[in-house]
Amino acid sequence: MESETQRIARGLRQGDVVVLEALVERYQYRLVRYLVSLLGRRDGVDDFVQETWLRVLERGGSYDGQSRFEPWLFRVARNLALDAMRKRPIFVLDSSEVDGVCSSPASVEPSPYTVAARTQDAERLAHSLQTLEPECREALVLRFQEELSLQEISAIVGAPVSTVASRIYRGLATLRPQFEGETA
Amino acid sequence: MKMDHHESFQRAIDESLAGVISAEKAQSLREHLSTCFICNEYLSASNRVTAGLSGFSFEVNPALNARVVAALRLRARQVPLAQPHRLQLARWRIVEYKAGTAFAVALMLSFIGSAFVCEVATLLHFDRAQVRTDVLVFWLLPSLCAALCLLAPSRRKRGIA
Repeated sequence: MESETQRIARGLRQGDVVVLEALVERYQYRLVRYLVSLLGRRDGVDDFVQETWLRVLERGGSYDGQSRFEPWLFRVARNLALDAMRKRPIFVLDSSEVDGVCSSPASVEPSPYTVAARTQDAERLAHSLQTLEPECREALVLRFQEELSLQEISAIVGAPVSTVASRIYRGLATLRPQFEGETA
Repeated sequence: MKMDHHESFQRAIDESLAGVISAEKAQSLREHLSTCFICNEYLSASNRVTAGLSGFSFEVNPALNARVVAALRLRARQVPLAQPHRLQLARWRIVEYKAGTAFAVALMLSFIGSAFVCEVATLLHFDRAQVRTDVLVFWLLPSLCAALCLLAPSRRKRGIA
């Protein structure tokens, strides 16, 4: 019996727009959320979202249906974003991936996290998240927002599992002090 | 020494949150947490971080889905998809076409060559029937068999694809 991922893979191989529309409906929010975390800004994300889905249409044949769809989708989005950053370096996602360009953008606009915070704890994290090393922020978001395994994150970011784990530890160590010494 | 003891359990808490802790270590951590206030504080702060990370809700442009779907439909009509199985099929068709053409040319040249040999044999006063038989047995039939053998693998591969 065909699994859901295999059905998606078959639809993508055939360039079935109906399958793609269902995927857009299902994964759009998560894709937006991931790209905001990856880029550290909200503007321009919609264009990346559209480009990501177009690339999914064009290269969907490379999804084998053996693993979950969302890590593959995030990898496509990440590659697109990195390509765009290399062409027009606004900021660095990972110092090992893009050399010789400046760090996170200094913007006068409120960070996307400040705007998106819906709980008190989120409000307290918003500023720190914006200033967190991008690769740590990405690892935290993929682990705790997208609930992906370390192996899946490793496949997305193209780094060993141990590196992903240390990025998560580093990110937690940066954010944790805000809540230390308080009872939950 | 006491600090190192807590640090190792706090490391275990991080591993637990990352989803890489072993069952044995998790059991040891549970036992430690039942008695350690410092590590419970650490766990509580860590849990608030992870819960806080889930406390963001990003606005999605309501028109974005429609825009993406429209772009997908347009692109699907415009660009023939570069799908592996279609490309593979197209490649095999090209291979077969080339192989078939080569076979036809080789066959044609063999018959022209054998006719030429027969003419030369006549000029040199050899027995024409004997030469024709020799050409057929030692040239045309082996060439035909060799050509068929060369063509056979491409047919098998098409069947697999």
